Amino acid sequence: LSKFNLIKLQNVNFADDVVGENRSVFKKFRLKIFLVFCFCLCLLFINSCKKDALNPQTNLPTREITDDLGKKVKIPLQIERAVSLAPNLTETAFAIGAGERLVGVTSYCNYPLEAQKIQRVGDTINPNIETIIALKPQIVLVSTASQIETFIKTLDAQNIAVFVTNPNSLDDIYKTVYQLGEIFSREEKAAQIVDDLKRRVADVEAKTASLKDVKVFLQISKEPLFTIGKQSFMTDLINRAGGVSVTETVETAYPKISKETASALNPEAIILSDSEDNKEPNDVFANSSAMKNAKIFRVNADLISRPAPRVVDALEQIANDLHREDFRK
Amino acid sequence: MNSDEKANSKTSSKALRFGGLLIFLLFTTLLLAIYFGSERLAFFELNEAQKAILFDIRLPRVLLGATVGASLAVAGASLQSLLRNPLAEPYLLGVSNGAALGTMLAFVFFSQIEIARPVCAIFGASLATFTVYQMAKSRAGMNVERLVLSGVIVTTFLSSIIVLLTSLLDAAKLRSFTFWLLGDLSQATKNGFYLTFVCVIFGTIILSSQARALNLMMIGERDAFDFGVETGKVRLIIFATASALVGISVAASGSVGYVGLIVPHIVRLVVGSDNRLVVPFSAIAGAVFVVAADTIARTAIAPRELPVGAITALIGAPMFIYLLRKS
Repeated sequence: LSKFNLIKLQNVNFADDVVGENRSVFKKFRLKIFLVFCFCLCLLFINSCKKDALNPQTNLPTREITDDLGKKVKIPLQIERAVSLAPNLTETAFAIGAGERLVGVTSYCNYPLEAQKIQRVGDTINPNIETIIALKPQIVLVSTASQIETFIKTLDAQNIAVFVTNPNSLDDIYKTVYQLGEIFSREEKAAQIVDDLKRRVADVEAKTASLKDVKVFLQISKEPLFTIGKQSFMTDLINRAGGVSVTETVETAYPKISKETASALNPEAIILSDSEDNKEPNDVFANSSAMKNAKIFRVNADLISRPAPRVVDALEQIANDLHREDFRK
Repeated sequence: MNSDEKANSKTSSKALRFGGLLIFLLFTTLLLAIYFGSERLAFFELNEAQKAILFDIRLPRVLLGATVGASLAVAGASLQSLLRNPLAEPYLLGVSNGAALGTMLAFVFFSQIEIARPVCAIFGASLATFTVYQMAKSRAGMNVERLVLSGVIVTTFLSSIIVLLTSLLDAAKLRSFTFWLLGDLSQATKNGFYLTFVCVIFGTIILSSQARALNLMMIGERDAFDFGVETGKVRLIIFATASALVGISVAASGSVGYVGLIVPHIVRLVVGSDNRLVVPFSAIAGAVFVVAADTIARTAIAPRELPVGAITALIGAPMFIYLLRKS
């Protein structure tokens, strides 16, 4: 194909020269028509080539699964090559024992260690579409709306299935584990993991059920001041850990909160999603009861902010932090 | 002679009334801005927590908004007169981007030193201004089209360096920056306010003192020179002062757009093009404009916040078109 195009291109160049030499309007006109004709031929040729190159997978039997956008996604019976565009999905895939089937992950995917050896396809917000297509995945796993529509269209055109997850609560995280189990045909392992997680969560809930809820402010970033809102799974997490998020009624998942409101909320404890720019509580909390009682807790950002099985580790840590005195009794 | 004096007294009384109106507006806006916020305060019986909200959070932010607005507006007003171009604005000339890049570099290399940010911002703004000016200067004197074009080139060049920096550096470290670049008054501190306040007072005085020379230079640089204006010196003073003002305000609050363009034009539509009035009035009007916009940004969807730059553009553009059509 490329050779053919090259010849065409040379023709075009040559024709241009001819136009330059013959000033006759009539001839120029004829040549233009000829050039347009050539161009159309080229387009037709490229188009027909594309049809030939259609993914042979389409002829194989498929199955249908529904993703969190309610979209029915057709995937091959057996998934052998998948790309994960979010660290939580990479972690979940490894947890259900399908990690070796990931052929591409993002630069944020640092857990488990094996994930770091997989080909990088860019970060969550700017994945490299060419790298992804070159990896020939059968499915691309996407988390929430962080990825753009046009990108999904391109993958669709390449016959690569796109599966979107959007967990807003702990139950949704279980659902994601089940969904990935279904995609990778590892339903049993997925069910086993979810049962295990549910047991651990039930333990925590049993311990904190009779205790008084602690008013918690979860700080995502110090400046500007970002926190969690109604739609974040972390709000659910804090509830189950025997606390209540002071911003649980604020719309959106990760609102930039007014400092005045944050100060007025006067949290009893502050949880920092521990990352480089979020080591200390914002100055507006200087007089809060959390600061007075030294109830500032740091939770590894990778644990708390990724809706993956490890989030239950964060849950256990938060419950312990909030109710250390009660648990000791 | 008589009719001239009449006209003069007429414009000056109109200017006086407009000045009075502006000062009244400034105080009303400041009071309203202090009154409204995402938290309702009982002003006559404040408890400790409410005092903290009022004096540590709301007041610094409102006052910083006022000084930033004033800085950007006077910088815009004097640049427009100096360059005889209605579109001349700190953003268009790359001054803001120079300041933004300076702040960013200070953040990367001297993150511990608070004063490094405004210093580097002023340095970046001045360097951008100097580059644009050198590029635009020719033997025939200052060519306005060339200057604006140079501004566009420097702006895009600096933007690309900023984009490169944000893609190269660690994402978590620069998360606060992506917001700051669009203008973010929520990071206001008392120190930031004191610094911008001192600078805007001195800056406005310096720029106003050049207003007479600027008036003459608006006719044409050669004519002004013939009238005895040291055009080179005036240009240098105005470029340096405007760069410093833009640098300080960008370091304190990021790039709040539209202020330097909209405010001086609105002032000119009312009082005419006499810079002795336009420069100081722009300072007050700029303060009113940004404080009002930020009050909306703080309260519209409270307790969440909107970016103030979006509000200034949203109010500024339609208001500008309305005034333009009316005049």
